[in-house]
Amino acid sequence: MFLLVVVVLALLGCAAPEKKEEVVKIGVIGPMETKYGLAMKRAAELAAKKINEEGGILGKTVKIVVADTKFDPDVATTEFRRLAQDEKVNIVIGGFSSGIALTMIEVMAETKTLWLGDASSPRLTAKVKEDYEHYKYFFRPIVANASTFPLDMIEMLDNYLNKEIGLNIKKVAIVRDAALWTDDVMQKFEPLLKERGFEIVMDVKVPKGTEDFSTILLEAQEKADVIVPILAHVRGDSLLKQWHDMKIKKLIAGHDLAAIDPDFWNATEGKCFGEIYTADGGAVATPINEKMIEFIDMYKKEFGKLPEAYSAYGVYDAVFLYKAAVEMASKAGESNPFDPDTLVKYLEKFNVNNPFEGVRGKIAFTSNHDLVWGDEFIRNYICQWQEGKQVILYPKNKATGQFVKPEWI
Amino acid sequence: MITEILILGTVIGGIWALVASGFSLMFGVARILNFAHGIFFVLGAYFTISLNSKLSSVLAQYSLPFSIFLSIFLVGIVGLIIYRLFLSPLKEHEIMVILVTLAIALLLEELLLMIFKDISISVPSVLHGTLSFFGIPITYTRILALFLAIALLVILELFTNKTRTGKSILATSQDKEAAMLIGIDVDRVYSMVAFISASFASLAGILYSQIYAVNPETALRVLIYAFAIVILGGLGNVRGSIVAAFIIGYLQVATSLSLGTRWSEVLAMIVIISILIIRPKGLFGVEV
Repeated sequence: MFLLVVVVLALLGCAAPEKKEEVVKIGVIGPMETKYGLAMKRAAELAAKKINEEGGILGKTVKIVVADTKFDPDVATTEFRRLAQDEKVNIVIGGFSSGIALTMIEVMAETKTLWLGDASSPRLTAKVKEDYEHYKYFFRPIVANASTFPLDMIEMLDNYLNKEIGLNIKKVAIVRDAALWTDDVMQKFEPLLKERGFEIVMDVKVPKGTEDFSTILLEAQEKADVIVPILAHVRGDSLLKQWHDMKIKKLIAGHDLAAIDPDFWNATEGKCFGEIYTADGGAVATPINEKMIEFIDMYKKEFGKLPEAYSAYGVYDAVFLYKAAVEMASKAGESNPFDPDTLVKYLEKFNVNNPFEGVRGKIAFTSNHDLVWGDEFIRNYICQWQEGKQVILYPKNKATGQFVKPEWI
Repeated sequence: MITEILILGTVIGGIWALVASGFSLMFGVARILNFAHGIFFVLGAYFTISLNSKLSSVLAQYSLPFSIFLSIFLVGIVGLIIYRLFLSPLKEHEIMVILVTLAIALLLEELLLMIFKDISISVPSVLHGTLSFFGIPITYTRILALFLAIALLVILELFTNKTRTGKSILATSQDKEAAMLIGIDVDRVYSMVAFISASFASLAGILYSQIYAVNPETALRVLIYAFAIVILGGLGNVRGSIVAAFIIGYLQVATSLSLGTRWSEVLAMIVIISILIIRPKGLFGVEV
């Protein structure tokens, strides 16, 4: 009996840390039927290929295991559990959709799996703060906390469009996903707008699959000075197409996730010309540093196109971030540098004073495992679509072009 | 606000009229309640996009109109095949027909999701430019959509009333047995109606996706609207459906202007339920 207990305990508790792995398994989880998932998978494979060519992580080969959430919380939790318990991955990277991530984080805590997540709700990292021991395995290097989006948007409207360009925007029409994350954004955005003298004249929630924006656009044209989309689940294509076709006389400037994708120009037949948007996590294919140039070249060479979605940049960074943390732990003489509890400590060492250099710039974590927000770190650039190109307008030290006003406005 | 409702509602009403007339025709003539009707709507847009991307290098500017015509025809054929293979043998069992068409709809929707992913697509516009009407910008695409919808509905009306084949459709819808007795090939009539019904829905889908966008899940939404319209207009009553389509179009725009876009589907549901309770034969209905 005693022997049996020992065997069971050994199998249950100590299997992962004590095993001498020859491979490092990285689980990539996301909605694989969408371009967000596809970009994650491709970027992770690219990172693994590069790492393996250069000798792996501490000599071990990196292997990518893919899991599909199917954009469904039930499937997502099952798949997360499969990665953690059946596949015994060393780390999970990815996510998408805060509603789904909030269910997966419970499986993460239960299985004590390290997770470099992609989903922007403040509720995720609030858990790290509230119950550190339980949720400390969650880090968010891929996207910024949604509560920082209002900071970007207020900079866009007030600091940039009003003060720098000289527009006189006062009345704001908000068009946003009918989803959890936009409620989080609004909680902070609303007081910020009021503080800076803006007035919210419309706040429209649109469910996933919304295609007809004509009445919203007409109302906004009448009431507002600017249309601010806060969209990720609803794609902006249709909104932009109708805005252009109806020659709506107000600018569109906001947080439109679809606009970050390089194929957005073609998807809207160029009708996104003039749209201003914040690029989530700095994920725009612009040559801001050597690493970015190298990554874009590799991606184009391997897959024949630019990264399909923002998630590619973050996931690529996340794989290298993990490698750096493992190597740091090993160098410090840790007996098992792959142990999740050990790695939490080393990932936390990438802070304001010691950021990690990724393709999107400097990654530094706050005490509750969020990205540090600021001009020197990864931030959401303010961009504009112009003649098939994504131009960074702001901040000035990263700008690649000037603001252009569509002729009908 | 009234002008916006009138202008935007007329265009969307025209598109709904195309969808609902085919749906109603199928029920009126063949007594088939086709739950796969919404899928014909989205299939039209997906066929056009795919054909256009394949043909644009060969046919240049003619590629888009050609792809649109071919797609309408192909979706008509899909409708015909579905009728021939699955509905014709089952058409005496109304419940079975509903279940089978529902299964086909779900199957095709899954297929579209697998091939094209969960992304909205829009068909490029044939016409470019905007007209200002009482201060409301209307794109030429919308005007063309309304014009085409009305033209086709008029042609359908003339076809059923003036031509021999059309009259055989009318006769079958009035009395199947009597039609058979006077030598009308009823099954041929049903096949024809299946083709017309599917191709009308696909044209509606193509027009809709030029103005807005569609994704595989649009099929269900379209089906709900089609239901609301034919129930309002009277099941099987094509003219009633057309009038009802415009009523729903105006109500839809009025709802999204006053309450927000997310309420317009709820409105469709309310119409379905209240008409079924208050006046089950619809506004212009014959007894079912």
